[in-house]
Amino acid sequence: MASSVFVVVAYAIVLTFVAVRARAAREFVDFSLARRALPLALVFGSLCATYVGPGFSIGFVGKGFKSGFLFWGIGLAYSLQNILVGLLIAPRLRNLKDCCTLGDAIGQMYDRKCQILAGIISVSICTFLAAVMAHASGVVLNDIFGLDRFWSAVIVVGLTALYTTFGGLRASVITDAFQFTAFALLLPVTLLLALSFHLDGGGAHFISEASAATTQGFNSTSTVKIVGLLAAFFLGETLIPPYANRALASRTTGVSRNSFILAGAFSIVWFMVMISLGVVARNIVPKTTEEDKVLLKLVESIMPSEGYMLLLVVLVSIVMSSLDSLLNAGAVALTEDVVKPFVKLGNGGALNVGRWATIAIAAVAVACSPAVPSIISGLLICYTIWASAILPALIIGLWSKHPRPLAGTLSMIAGTLVAVVAIICLFFFPSVIEDRIEVIIIPGLGAAVLAYALGYRLQRTKPGG
Amino acid sequence: MDAAILILVVIASLLTVASGIWVATALVSAISTHQSKTGEQPPENKETGSVMR
Repeated sequence: MASSVFVVVAYAIVLTFVAVRARAAREFVDFSLARRALPLALVFGSLCATYVGPGFSIGFVGKGFKSGFLFWGIGLAYSLQNILVGLLIAPRLRNLKDCCTLGDAIGQMYDRKCQILAGIISVSICTFLAAVMAHASGVVLNDIFGLDRFWSAVIVVGLTALYTTFGGLRASVITDAFQFTAFALLLPVTLLLALSFHLDGGGAHFISEASAATTQGFNSTSTVKIVGLLAAFFLGETLIPPYANRALASRTTGVSRNSFILAGAFSIVWFMVMISLGVVARNIVPKTTEEDKVLLKLVESIMPSEGYMLLLVVLVSIVMSSLDSLLNAGAVALTEDVVKPFVKLGNGGALNVGRWATIAIAAVAVACSPAVPSIISGLLICYTIWASAILPALIIGLWSKHPRPLAGTLSMIAGTLVAVVAIICLFFFPSVIEDRIEVIIIPGLGAAVLAYALGYRLQRTKPGG
Repeated sequence: MDAAILILVVIASLLTVASGIWVATALVSAISTHQSKTGEQPPENKETGSVMR
């Protein structure tokens, strides 16, 4: 027991040391873009640490346990998205001048009104996603230590907000790199240990379990659901504000492009490790184990108590690394896209607004966390709204020679409205939420693209349009 | 075929560990390097995307 406590305390001390070494941001350009000086390895590590949240770790191990390699195939849509963003979008974003946020980019392509609208959507999505992370931290700490979920969320969000408020993006990226290192070393080692020493029947048994689980997964998942999941994984998380900030904060356009390509490639091997842990667990933990508890039970079964405790701390870190990125991205979007267009702010003023915004978003996230239905549903709701509201206007704007502001505005409004209304409707029929939520992204995106086309045509026919 | 899948799983684990070591090295370098007080960055070469020194 004493050695387990030592492991937790040692991890916390090292994390604090790393956060302190990142140093406090002195200017808004430090806070928002880390002076556009981030090297490839740090941007890559931070991107991976941000997308590997509870869904891509605990969630994927549970999916491997129930559905074998089906979700590895679905996860490849996410990998492809990251690689395409690296090839086609990130370098274009990085090339824009004086651009701190995605809202800034949209403002440069369309007009100030579009920037404010994109800023409001960015802040809302970051806050909701932070609420999902707060909920996840409550679930993990409750499972581990038996602490009340709400107070667990207060502790984790409070600690994360502390270093993000003072250190800004640099502190977020540096601590992300530390947290990435911890889980990129520990979880594959757990898999290798399980494969080497805890698998009765050896490799042949692993293959037969993988085959049985994958067949079971295909039999229990309809084609429509698979298509919806592929769309959600391909589009849902595309360039959410923390990713866009990292594309903008990269040292060069080459770093921006390569970090996304490498992060996409890493997700392929990461998903394979997570799914394999789930398949291995079929031989070690009871078949009736809940999906979200498979990883915890597996680690508890095969690791010594110190290793188990370290892994539990790493699971909290996985949540923190996503949370700090969301808090920083939301605060920067609020300052740059929502406050600055109305109030003239100097460097110090913008930094103060950014810091207070970090605290405010953290407080709202904690307050909203009890209302989150489940980790996966919460994430899918946010991704659906984000993809519908922002992606068509952003992507068409980046590639179009003459983007029209009316098209951008209509696309963002229509995409948001259709996605929000569809989600509200689903809440009136809770029994179908889990089965249909990933499909809403399709009508939401369709409405946004149609509205864009309508706005483009209308503005072209206006005099001077 | 079975052996190939197992080998792929092991390679994936090793690649993940290698990524962790790479990022750890960059992290140690980042926190042990003191930036200048102004923190000014050299301008970027638009053509190549490289940093001019």
